[in-house]
Amino acid sequence: MILGTSPLRSGSRERVLGDTRFGADQGQAGDLYLACVRIHKAPARIDGIDPAPALALPGVVRVFTAADIPGVNRLGIIPVSKDQEFLAEELVRCPGQAVALVAAETPEAARAGARAVVVKLTGAPGVYDMAEALAEGAPLVHPGREQGNLLDLRVIKNGDVEAAFKASAVVVEADYTTSMIEHSALETEGGRAWWEDGKLHVTACTQNPHYDRDDLVRFLGLKPEDLVVIQAETGGGFGGKLDVSVQPYLALAAWHLKRPTRLVYTREESFLSTGKRHPFRMHYVTGADEQGRLTAVKAELLADTGAFASYGLAVCMRAAVHAAGPYYVPNVDVTSRMAYTNNVWTGAMRGFGVPQVALAHEGQMDALADALGLDRLEIRRVNALRPGQATITGQVLKGGVGLTQCLDKVEPIYRTWQAKAKGDDRFAEGVGLGVMYYGIGNTGVSNPSTAQLEWTTDGRVVLFTGVADIGQGSDTVLRQLAATRLGVRLEQIDLVRGDTSRTTNAGATSASRQTYISGNAVMAAAENLEALVLGEARKMLGARHQELVLEDGMVRVKGDPESALGVTEVVRHLTQRGQAARGEGGFDPHTVPLKPDTGQGKPYAAYAWAAQCAFVEVDRDSGMVRVKEIAAAHDVGRAIHPKAVLGQICGGVMMGLGLGLMEEFHPGKTSNFEDYHIPTSADAPRITPLIVEEPEATGPYGAKGVGEPALIPTAPALAAAVGQALGQPMRHLPLSLERVMETLAGAGAKDQPC
Amino acid sequence: MTLDFTLNGQPVSLEGVPAAESLLDLLRHRLDLKGTKEGCGVGECGACSVLLDGKVVDSCLTPAWKAAGREVTTIEGLARDGQLHPLQESFLSAGAVQCGFCTPGMILSAQSLLSDNPDPSDEEIKIALAGNVCRCTGYHDIVLAVRRGARALRGEAPEADES
Ligand code: FES
Ligand code: FES
Repeated sequence: MILGTSPLRSGSRERVLGDTRFGADQGQAGDLYLACVRIHKAPARIDGIDPAPALALPGVVRVFTAADIPGVNRLGIIPVSKDQEFLAEELVRCPGQAVALVAAETPEAARAGARAVVVKLTGAPGVYDMAEALAEGAPLVHPGREQGNLLDLRVIKNGDVEAAFKASAVVVEADYTTSMIEHSALETEGGRAWWEDGKLHVTACTQNPHYDRDDLVRFLGLKPEDLVVIQAETGGGFGGKLDVSVQPYLALAAWHLKRPTRLVYTREESFLSTGKRHPFRMHYVTGADEQGRLTAVKAELLADTGAFASYGLAVCMRAAVHAAGPYYVPNVDVTSRMAYTNNVWTGAMRGFGVPQVALAHEGQMDALADALGLDRLEIRRVNALRPGQATITGQVLKGGVGLTQCLDKVEPIYRTWQAKAKGDDRFAEGVGLGVMYYGIGNTGVSNPSTAQLEWTTDGRVVLFTGVADIGQGSDTVLRQLAATRLGVRLEQIDLVRGDTSRTTNAGATSASRQTYISGNAVMAAAENLEALVLGEARKMLGARHQELVLEDGMVRVKGDPESALGVTEVVRHLTQRGQAARGEGGFDPHTVPLKPDTGQGKPYAAYAWAAQCAFVEVDRDSGMVRVKEIAAAHDVGRAIHPKAVLGQICGGVMMGLGLGLMEEFHPGKTSNFEDYHIPTSADAPRITPLIVEEPEATGPYGAKGVGEPALIPTAPALAAAVGQALGQPMRHLPLSLERVMETLAGAGAKDQPC
Repeated sequence: MTLDFTLNGQPVSLEGVPAAESLLDLLRHRLDLKGTKEGCGVGECGACSVLLDGKVVDSCLTPAWKAAGREVTTIEGLARDGQLHPLQESFLSAGAVQCGFCTPGMILSAQSLLSDNPDPSDEEIKIALAGNVCRCTGYHDIVLAVRRGARALRGEAPEADES
């Protein structure tokens, strides 16, 4: 049994020994060091860049500007919205954008050189508020852009919301906001570039080596075969390592200078220059009948993409698709807009807009329950999507719908806490619920993965995959799938991962897609390898009409225990004929693009479901929220490696706790962990992770994903719990000391116009 | 100035270490010991934790000269003769390693705690490790690992029910 067990994760022994070389640990003697010249005030026009003072310093080798970029200086992870100049050409669009790159013999010389470069700038009018950015006459972040500062507008429409509101027993209306969040992966971005065999090589921490390769090839104007990207061991990502960071700088300098280069961001540079989670402003109107059944949802969403698009299009659309939550809603009208501003850019972060809308759809459910005098858990159960029902995009769910089971799992815990929650003059306790669903993979577009498996003549199986393991455990899970499907021991599976010269594209480690999509690609490769081996064995055995099976490294003939062949023998036979025992496989989930005018379609092939509840204590004197316990039930289809699933759930819950209670990135102000607090062990509540396995028919052995779902219901559950403790709904995150004190003082957080 | 100290049980003697150099830079860059990590450089994350005479310090904030005449232990010095330290074992078995970037600092911090308090409660573990940030695990399995490692260091059998 390999599936459903938790073998030691690949690479963890090296990690406890301190032997693992992350992106930040790359480098050899003789490397050149790089430093970026970054501008802190934006927008600003570049009047001139004078590298001479830097070049006069000892050790400085060269200063690059945009003019030195041989290819296309427009990067960004979505092909249709590449708009980020890695060295600004004429206009610096947000604080932190780089305008020049210094290469030097030592890190000190590189830094000194970066300080010495003289950049002449003229300030230009900017816009820093997402609503103001869309107003008439707002300064344009990308002058000349046809849609102005509107990056994207997405709608989901079905039925008639206004008529439904009129016929509803109750209608609730409220505003919600979430803050800008920094991923804060513990490893900052880092890597190295060098020449080898006439090819430029780049290794760096990343969530998507093949995308990096394609962007670098465009950036340098090379052919794909001239550049190799190798994923370095990656110290967390959470979406922050999807867009390229250090890679273009490493590649540019190494390409020009024909010498190895190295660059690691300080935490300050990482905070300053990499993408963040989109802050959202949301206005919701939700109706229900007397039994609490949802009649209609009207949602207006607005998000800030900052100066660049990055994953904005995907976040805008995914937020819209998930805006009504995991409920059956007959009438919907969702408008999702995303605005450019001169703030630091925002991009993908664990959940892609769904953690933000979850705050709102869950707040609305509580408001409806309270208005109708219904139980907050029951109203969710009544509305929970079930097989046979349609989502708001008109997708009829066939199976793999485990929300009710998740609610069943948390209910006894929720009830116990409710009975326990108490209060006195100073401390008030509260309990809250949050539920969610999450579409696995990219929204309504093709997002394939590929993999290869090769049986070697010494009895091992090599799995070739482009999947970036960034700590979530895909290296182990994919090996478990391959071993199970081929009937070999896990220890027999070797891994070649994330090297663009040896593996093919698996797509990004994002959208909780790798277990489901790349897992399926590995299964397909195993199937093809099995067919190849059995076909060859059939020839060798002359067993033309009998059924052959592959088990325990042997090919056996059904009903004839005497005839059997070792797989290694078959593999040798194949290789003697000059053929590798290699199977290739791919998988692309079946989706239907959403119609632009109604948002109807089939955005995802599979959905994950979850319910969490939180038990908090609020100190009325200090405004301090202490989270006592969180229970989190997640339908993952099938837990291939239960320990990794539980680890994802606990880690997600803590990141959700950060989003809910403390994290708030202020562009232009926040600089390091000193002024950006993420949860520490002292903040950690007791977490009870619970696995629900409602098999997904299209998943590998029924599995889907859990990475992002783990975080999504936490902040809504915390907001509800704090709201219950304080006796008033909490709709604006984070629930910091100040916000709680304001609420207690009766001021309340001001609703912001959408 | 000559800087003499003991590193993972071995004497080290270095010439020309600038007064301002941090112990972190000395370990990572001068001695190429990359097991000690830098997560913030300002004493807020604990990724750079090492032991100085058995007590945990943030090596990013510790000037290298402070090591003079003392014993420095990094993650590379914990395992002896290929034998993992009990905390290294327990971090593995508890699944407390995800991306693993916090792991070296976390293990050394835990070792420092256990040398003061061999039988800490979960709350004591959480307080003691509060200077070591982990963005991946939610600390659940780290606390479990420390509890397990503590038992092993005390020479006791593993708990029957661990969660
Ligand atoms: S690197 Fe020293 S505490 Fe963060
Ligand atoms: S395991 Fe990634 S930071 Fe702790």
